[in-house]
Amino acid sequence: MNFHFTNKKISGILTILPGNEVTFEDEMGNYNFSEAKSLKLKAAMGFNKKRIVKPGITISDLCLYGLNYLLDHNLLQKEDIDALILVTQSPDYIMPPTSNIIQGALGLKSDMLCMDINQGCAGYIVGLMQGFMLLDQPEIKKVVLMNADVLSPKVSKRDRNSNPLIGDAASITILERSNIATSITCALKMNGQGAFALQIPAGGAKLPNSPETAEMIEDANGNYRSKDHLVMKGDEVFNFVQTEVPPLIHEVFKLANITKEEIDYFMFHQPNRFMLQKLADKIGVSRDKMPSNIVENFGNSSSVTIPLAITFNIGNEIENKHYKLCLSGFGVGLTWSAMVLDIGPLEFCKQIDY
Amino acid sequence: MENFLNQMAELLEVDSVNPQDEIISFDAWDSLTSLSIIAMADDEYSVNISAQEILNAKTIIGLYQFIQSKK
Repeated sequence: MNFHFTNKKISGILTILPGNEVTFEDEMGNYNFSEAKSLKLKAAMGFNKKRIVKPGITISDLCLYGLNYLLDHNLLQKEDIDALILVTQSPDYIMPPTSNIIQGALGLKSDMLCMDINQGCAGYIVGLMQGFMLLDQPEIKKVVLMNADVLSPKVSKRDRNSNPLIGDAASITILERSNIATSITCALKMNGQGAFALQIPAGGAKLPNSPETAEMIEDANGNYRSKDHLVMKGDEVFNFVQTEVPPLIHEVFKLANITKEEIDYFMFHQPNRFMLQKLADKIGVSRDKMPSNIVENFGNSSSVTIPLAITFNIGNEIENKHYKLCLSGFGVGLTWSAMVLDIGPLEFCKQIDY
Repeated sequence: MENFLNQMAELLEVDSVNPQDEIISFDAWDSLTSLSIIAMADDEYSVNISAQEILNAKTIIGLYQFIQSKK
């Protein structure tokens, strides 16, 4: 399904990273594999450092820290916030929505919309789409899109499939109407038949947490995890991404009526370096136009990886320059999405530590 | 087939492999090798295979024949 937005823009991006850094080697002893095999995995996937929260810190802590930073630095005014969208799969509570908690903590006006969206790896583009749609309403002039996930507590420390790559982070993206004409093109697809390729089996209504769901079980590859933990079918996800994402990218180019040479950067979701390099080769773009350095520096933080790839790789430049970007997020759902947009100069594009 | 044997030898980190060799019998075998084989099947043969299908194929020749059957 295709979406088209006119006269909307991103005016600022802030990413918030936990200050606590963990290295691959710190946790290598947890895995049921020889050191040589784990180091081989590290080299192939590009694992190195990641940022995860200290116990007890949740997404509202990261989001509030970022919002207060923007308010304190006069980069955002409280009364200007007409909508607060939060994309997450690790809310503070099942009810109420975490976006309402954040609104309350900041003391924002009641004449506004708060909305939580349950989306993962494609959640940056889904959030942008929702924000751009809201900006068609006359009373909504400014949307604050928050992407935040703290999934590290949901991953087994003895799971070499998922633990080395998971990272926690949050981002805040400001969306507004644009005075100059803009055109944003987006393509998105979903396949719920693959919904269980990426999953946390227990903790929802179908399978509440219990002593049984907490039992650690060894899988066929020697990883230990329980039903309370995140589980990923790596082979299915790999094949899904390599098969579905390249045609979607070509489709969005066709819709936007551009060629891939006109794109300055391909800012894609960051599952791991291996998958991104394969993807770059398959789409036919040079690997240095598609940064794949987020997992090795910060870990994979679900829907935050795209804004993080922007702040980390071109944060300084984009405050003064204009770029044409192709964004793409793919994963949980299964969902795959792509967007072509013009961006910059931004009022701010920074990352800060919590 | 020759080309496939060379690719498998490289992924399994040995000088050469025999068609009858069991895939999981190699020292280098683990879930990363499995993913590397899946990526190779996609790159070289444009075929999607799963981790379970590699295990089901058992031997190098079994996997070769399976990939050919899916082309």
